[in-house]
Amino acid sequence: MLSDLASIFLNLDFYVAVVRMTTPLLLAAVGSVLAERSGVVTFSMEAMMLMGAVGGIIGSGVFGNVWMGVLLAIVFGMLVGFAYSLMAVSVGAHQIVTSVGLNLGAVGLSAVLYALVFTRGSEVIQTVIKVPKLPLVKIPLLGDIPILGPVLFNHLPVVYVGYVLVPVVWFILYRTSWGLKIRAVGEHPHAADTVGISVSKVRYATIIFAGAFSGLAGSFLSIGLLGSYMENMTAGRGFIAYTAIVFGKWQPVGVFLGTLLFGAADALQLRIQALNLGIPYQFLVMLPYVVTMIALISVVGRASWPASYGSPFKREEG
Amino acid sequence: MKSKNRLWILWREFLERSFSIAIPVAAIMAAFLVSGFIILAWGSSPMAAYTALFSGAFGSISGIATTLQRLTPLVFTGLAVAYGYRGGFFNIGAEGQLYMGAIAAVWFAITFPNLPSWLLITLCIFASGFMGLVWVLLPAYLKAKRGINEVLTTLLMNYIAIQYFEWVIRVDHIQEGILLFGGVEPIWTFQNWLGIKDATQPHPKSAFLVDAAHLPTMKSLLESNLFSSLFGGAEWYKELLGITAFGRISLAPLLALLTALVIFFVMFKTVTGYRSRAVGINPEAARFMGINVPRTLFVTALISGTLAGLAGGMEVLGTQHRVIPNFLVNAGFDGIPVALIGQLHPLGVLLSATFFGALRAGANKMQVITSVPIAVVYIIQALAIVFAIAGTTVDIGANLKKKRLAREVSEQKLEPAKEEVANA
Repeated sequence: MLSDLASIFLNLDFYVAVVRMTTPLLLAAVGSVLAERSGVVTFSMEAMMLMGAVGGIIGSGVFGNVWMGVLLAIVFGMLVGFAYSLMAVSVGAHQIVTSVGLNLGAVGLSAVLYALVFTRGSEVIQTVIKVPKLPLVKIPLLGDIPILGPVLFNHLPVVYVGYVLVPVVWFILYRTSWGLKIRAVGEHPHAADTVGISVSKVRYATIIFAGAFSGLAGSFLSIGLLGSYMENMTAGRGFIAYTAIVFGKWQPVGVFLGTLLFGAADALQLRIQALNLGIPYQFLVMLPYVVTMIALISVVGRASWPASYGSPFKREEG
Repeated sequence: MKSKNRLWILWREFLERSFSIAIPVAAIMAAFLVSGFIILAWGSSPMAAYTALFSGAFGSISGIATTLQRLTPLVFTGLAVAYGYRGGFFNIGAEGQLYMGAIAAVWFAITFPNLPSWLLITLCIFASGFMGLVWVLLPAYLKAKRGINEVLTTLLMNYIAIQYFEWVIRVDHIQEGILLFGGVEPIWTFQNWLGIKDATQPHPKSAFLVDAAHLPTMKSLLESNLFSSLFGGAEWYKELLGITAFGRISLAPLLALLTALVIFFVMFKTVTGYRSRAVGINPEAARFMGINVPRTLFVTALISGTLAGLAGGMEVLGTQHRVIPNFLVNAGFDGIPVALIGQLHPLGVLLSATFFGALRAGANKMQVITSVPIAVVYIIQALAIVFAIAGTTVDIGANLKKKRLAREVSEQKLEPAKEEVANA
C-alpha cells in the first residue's frame, strides 16, 4: 500500500493533475475575492461557473472556434454576475437566498440552452456532442525545464490565466486606489459613502469581475478538459471555491493555497480510487473541509471576513 | 370618529397580512409566465406543458403519491430553515443534518430488525432527529458562544457529513450469519459496526430496511384487520385495495403536517418561540428585555437541526427504505427557498413545499407529453425564488405597517400635546 502511494507521488502526472484540478477552483475563488472583500457573499459562483461551462460549449460549437467559446463563457458569467448584482446590490435582497435561487436556475437554464442549441427536437437530450476544445500550449523555454516544465508550463492557456490572476488580484487589492475603495466598502460602507465612493458601483464592478472569471473557470471544465457538456457538470465546484475563500481568510494568497489544497485532495482521491487501495478516500476529500473549519474556529480566524459581509447597503432615510 | 379609525386600522392590518400571501403567489405566477416564453422558444405550447405538469402532479392517485413523497422532506428542511432564520440562526446545513439523520435511521433499522414495528419506527425517528441535532451542535456552540458566522460553519459541516455518508454506505454492515458478496466468509472489524452497506451486494447502497421499519401506508391501513373486518365485503373497498399507488402514500406527509402545526405552536404560542423570534429580530433589544441571547440562539439552532435530521429519517422510513448515493439531491439546500417563499411561516412552508414537490412530481409527465425538458421546472423554481425574495425585500406590506405605526405614534404624541395646549 505504501509503495502504491509512493508511486502516486513519484509520478509527474499527479502534479499535472493537481494543477488541472486547482485551476477552475482558483479562477472562481481568487476572481471572487474582490467581490467578497467589498462585502458581498459570492455564493452564486456555482451558477456563474455552470453558465460559463454551457457558454463555452455553445460558443465553440456554433462558431466552430474555441476562442469564441471562451468569450461566450466569460460573457455568460458576467451576465449572471449582473443579475446577481441587481438582486444583491440594487434590490438589497438576501444574498445567500438569492444565490441559492440563481444556482437552481442555472441548473435549469444551462440544460435548456444546451438542448435548444444542439439537440432541439430530438427526443434524447443527453446526446454527447463534441466541440472544438482548447489546445495545450507549451510555454517556450520554461516548458523545457525538467520536472517543473511539464508540471507547470505545458497546460491549457486558461491555466496560465490562473497563474497571473493571483498576483493581479493581490496587487489590485493592496496596491491600488481601487483596492482601497473595495476594502473601504467592505469594512464600512457608510463611511465609504460619506467620502464619495459609490458603494453600489464598486459592488457591481467586483461581482461582474467575479462573474467573468467564474465563467472562464466553467469553460475550463467544458471546452478545456472534455470538449463536451454534461448536465450540472460543475458538480458543486462553485461551493468548493467558496470554501477556499473561507479557508484563505479572504486574502488572495491564502485563497490560492486553499484552492491548491482542495485541488490536490481531489487529484489524490481520484488516484486512490482508481488503484483500489482500500484507503477510505472519503476522509481525504473531507480533510480540506475539516482544516477550513479549524482555521475558522482558531483564534486567528476571527473577524477575518469583511465587517459588512452579506448585508446590503442602504443610505439611512431622512 | 374613533370607531371609523379602528375599522381603518383593521383594514390596513388586513392589507399588510394579505401582502405576505400575495407576494409569493404573485412571484409564482410571474415565474410561470416568464418560463412560458422559454417554453415558447422551445417550440411548445406553455398551456399544454403546464396542463401536463399539473396533471402529472395532481391528476392521478399515483401523481399525488409522488407529489407527497417529494414534498415531505422539503417540509422538514423548510421548517428547519424557517425556525432557524426567525431565531437569528441561518442554518444552511440542513443538507448535512439530513444526511446524518438518514444514516441514523438506517443504522437503527438494520441493527435492530427484530424489534416490534412501532418501537423500531419510533426509535428510528428519534435517532434521525437526534443525529440532526448532534450535527448542528458545533455550529450552534460557535455561533452562540463565540459569534462565529453560522452560515460558514453549517456549510462546512454539510460536506463533512456528505463524505462521511459516502464512506458508511461503502462499509459492510455487521449482521449475523451472512456471507459477503461473492460468498466470502466475513471478518468483521469495528468499522463494519459503523457501516450501513448491504454486505451481500457489490454496489454502494445500504441494505433494504425490514418491513417493520417501514412507515405504515394507506395500503397497509386498508389491509389492516380493522378495515377488512369492517368493509370486507364492499365493492368500493375491493377497488381501493387494487390501487397500488396507495402503497406509496405513507404516514410521513401526515407527520410533516403535524410537525408544521407543532412548530407553528412553538413559534407563536410558547415562551421558547417568543424568545427565539425576539433574538432573531434584534438581539440587542432582546438582551435588554432580559433574554439570555446565547442560550436562545443555541436552542433555536438545536430545534432547526433536529427538524432537518427528521427530513432524512422520514425519507428513509417513508419513501426509499434504503439509502444510495445522492438519495435526496439538494433537499437540504432547497429548504432555504421553501422557507423564504413560505414567508418563514410554518403554514407557508407547507404550501411552498407543496409547490416545489408538485413541480418535481409533474415534470416527468410534462417532458413525456410535450417534450419540454424537465430542466424547465428548475427555471420556474429559480424565478419564483428570485421574484419572491425581491418582492419581500421591497415589501409593500412592511412599508404599510411602518407607515401605520408611524402615524399611530405621531397621533398619540400629538393628542396629549393638544390637551396641554387646551389646558394652557
